[in-house]
Amino acid sequence: MIPQGPITLTHMQAFLLFAGVISIAFGFLGRRQPKDRVRYILWTFVLFLLIGIGIGWAMYPFSR
Amino acid sequence: MPDENNEIMQAQESEPPAAIAEGPPATASANEGGSEAKAWGVAIAGWLIPGLGHALQRMWGRALAVFLCVGVLVVVGASMRGNLFTSNGNDAFDTLGYVADLGSGSFYFLGRAVERNGADVSHAGGDYGTRFLATAGVLNLLAALHAYEAARGRKA
Repeated sequence: MIPQGPITLTHMQAFLLFAGVISIAFGFLGRRQPKDRVRYILWTFVLFLLIGIGIGWAMYPFSR
Repeated sequence: MPDENNEIMQAQESEPPAAIAEGPPATASANEGGSEAKAWGVAIAGWLIPGLGHALQRMWGRALAVFLCVGVLVVVGASMRGNLFTSNGNDAFDTLGYVADLGSGSFYFLGRAVERNGADVSHAGGDYGTRFLATAGVLNLLAALHAYEAARGRKA
């Protein structure tokens, strides 16, 4: 169950995992009804992706 | 889902009835004192073991979600060799990191157990792991605050 060795994730995998886990937590804490939760989880997840990728592109001109 | 119905019923039941609010001051004060102490107990339980604060209020869905989310963040963060800060930090950022890491309660020690080889932030993975661990702590503090508010009868 608990990994015995170090985990290696790509940037994108870490990003998706982080966004997914936090979205689920926000959905369960922020909404009561299952339908509302699913919608909120999806909405939060999409916003995480859009804002994260947007910030990444905004930093691109200064990366070198 | 039955557990979701329980949560709704629990929230409805936990709202103070008008009779208590309009009762004699001594009784209301005693009730408030007991409720406040219970709410603090719930919050501390939720901090020590992620999800326990909600489980004590029969909010099973939220309890499981908090337990799993905080657990996944701690295990993955520690497995990525993120930095678990200790109390003897060198600067204010280390202290802040320690406070954030401590937010995950008993899972802080789970992270230390998983991270047998120590932190390695020389790679991006280790740096991400540090953020995962801090996020787990802050998320658990948020969940404990949520459980506290629910125990006080506020809509949560």
